Amino acid sequence: METETGAAGEAARPSADRAPSAPADEQTQPAADTALDDTAARPSGRLGIAGLSPGYQLTAALALAAVAVVACVHVLMVFLYVAPPNTLTKRHGDLVDEWIYPEFEQNWKLFAPNPLQQNIAVQARAELRAPDGSLRTTGWYDLSAQDGAAIHHNPVPSHTQQNELRRAWDIFVSTHDAKNRSTGLRGDLSEQYLRRIIVLRLDRLDVGAKGDVVERVQVRSRATTIAPPKWSDEKVSQKPVYRQAPWWPVTKHDAPLDSGSSVRAGADDSPSAKGGVR
Amino acid sequence: MSGVEVRARAGLQKITASALGPYQSAVIRIGFSATWLLFLLREFPHRQELYGPDAPWSWDLARQLIADNHAFTTLMWSDGQAWFETVYAAAVLVSALLMLGWRTRAMAVLFMVGVLSLQNRSVFVGDGGDNVLHLMSIYLVFTRCGQVWSLDARRAARARAAGRTDEETVADDRVGPVLWSVLGAALVFLTVTGQSDFTWRFLLDPPVVPLVLWSVWLGCGLWWYAQRRGSRDLRLLCDVVTNTAHNAALSVIMVEACLVYATAGWYKIQGTRWQDGTAVYYPLHLDYFSPWPALGDLMTRFGLMVLIVTYVTVAVQVAFPFTVFNRRLKNVLLVFMMTEHAVIAVTLGLPFFSLAMITTDAVFLPTSFLRRVGGWVGRACGRPFSRAGSENGVELPARRPEPDPAGPPVAQPPPARP
Repeated sequence: METETGAAGEAARPSADRAPSAPADEQTQPAADTALDDTAARPSGRLGIAGLSPGYQLTAALALAAVAVVACVHVLMVFLYVAPPNTLTKRHGDLVDEWIYPEFEQNWKLFAPNPLQQNIAVQARAELRAPDGSLRTTGWYDLSAQDGAAIHHNPVPSHTQQNELRRAWDIFVSTHDAKNRSTGLRGDLSEQYLRRIIVLRLDRLDVGAKGDVVERVQVRSRATTIAPPKWSDEKVSQKPVYRQAPWWPVTKHDAPLDSGSSVRAGADDSPSAKGGVR
Repeated sequence: MSGVEVRARAGLQKITASALGPYQSAVIRIGFSATWLLFLLREFPHRQELYGPDAPWSWDLARQLIADNHAFTTLMWSDGQAWFETVYAAAVLVSALLMLGWRTRAMAVLFMVGVLSLQNRSVFVGDGGDNVLHLMSIYLVFTRCGQVWSLDARRAARARAAGRTDEETVADDRVGPVLWSVLGAALVFLTVTGQSDFTWRFLLDPPVVPLVLWSVWLGCGLWWYAQRRGSRDLRLLCDVVTNTAHNAALSVIMVEACLVYATAGWYKIQGTRWQDGTAVYYPLHLDYFSPWPALGDLMTRFGLMVLIVTYVTVAVQVAFPFTVFNRRLKNVLLVFMMTEHAVIAVTLGLPFFSLAMITTDAVFLPTSFLRRVGGWVGRACGRPFSRAGSENGVELPARRPEPDPAGPPVAQPPPARP
């Protein structure tokens, strides 16, 4: 058996097409064993389950059965999870989810059924309070355009540029209804997450003058359909579609890393920290 | 005995006597650990923003989500900056050691812990590449992926060359038992202190990752005991179970790869853009995935070319799972898929995703090809690799007058374990 390990490495092919595979008749069996004995540098004789004494063989068989069952069940569960909803998953979907989550989650519908045909830009603006107490609203900052600029001519884009904001907005949209109301725990969390990204990004852009405090932020998406190929006679509207979230008040709790200097202190922070100065 | 029975016995013997695909399992070990290592190094300047305690996805937000989904991550054990830096640095170190194949089994376990810890800490910054690594890091734990092209294999070959038996090698080993004891102490500590990841909430909902950690740790202990004091039967039993687990895990990896392509392909068939032959045009014009816009324009300049690439992509993805049993056809499709992923790496700016997918494809590469590549790499890099690549020829002179085209037999070094 040992002799064919190299070729049998192609485990994808149960019947290796050149190596002397599993002996088809009993005559070849002793020959294979002899070859094994003088090459494997193991004085103890046969390897594998056949080399065990009966009691151990039973243990090995049980272990083998257990491994086989777990592997088969796992493959079946993954299959049912990636398959479209069907008779089985409609009835026992919770069982499949129980097996798959949290560690075996997967989504391979990459660019399927259709690739994304819109550029979705996430934009944000802030309401600033100047040291004299007056309020003003900034213009919209295109945060996705900045991601795009960072990715431009970059052979190894960072997840912070390619995934962070893009996916945060995706998750916000998928966990909120059309009126931007959260539909559950994930919705609440995604809202805080998005707010923290925006505060971080706006802080890096140095919006506002020295001494200004960010009171509130607002986010919107601007979806533009990708122009059809030149060789296509398709006509699509290039008019951008906006989706706008409400104004969100921000405090220090919404300021990740070192971006907290231009926002108000949180409710449970000391009053002396209020009105942070840049 | 009937023919069926003979074949069944032979098959049973085959999957229990040897860990199949030593080169395939080694190449995916190297590929996945290298992908993760390069990713961690690339994101090193951004590590705080991605996974740090005060990241946009803050420790507290992660805590609330994990209380709901019960994912495994060591980063939830403390919100301290020092702990985070330690975990990140350890993940880098462990990836490098797994790539080199040093104490492969222990490193594979720690590699999984590192991948899960960082990815589960911030699930929303990942993409398809992270997803592949996540799954494969778990499957790798059960494989004997250090049989070739590893420091473990080199150590074993040297011990054999010096005429020492496996038993003597195990008896002389100091690092293994120390590593095993340290990791065991950590496991006991975490279990006793009842870290949330280690609690068994419901009978039917076991904490999967801690269960894996405990099983592998106990298995390694039993293996060592069998080598030192056990009977021949116990030693062989350990070998049989380890081989069985390896072969099962390698099969799962291959099935998983087939499911990835099948899912990607079959769902595409339903899409109008894949039907009208323009689909490939669109990703190349997404702002988030076009680092080289001029290249994207160039590649999609001709409608006929886009149509061909679109159709062939779907056809290959759908066909692949059905071709794995046909050697020639499978290899042709492999070349196409690896090339396509290499192109995606550049044109869509997804190098780590592509590297993970190319590594997944590599599990299907033929042994003869992998051995040849191993030889080239060995000659290019000097001794460490060439030794591991050619040791079989050196250690075990050809016993057949005509060497098998598949190469000389593969020596089975003792399993690389702590």
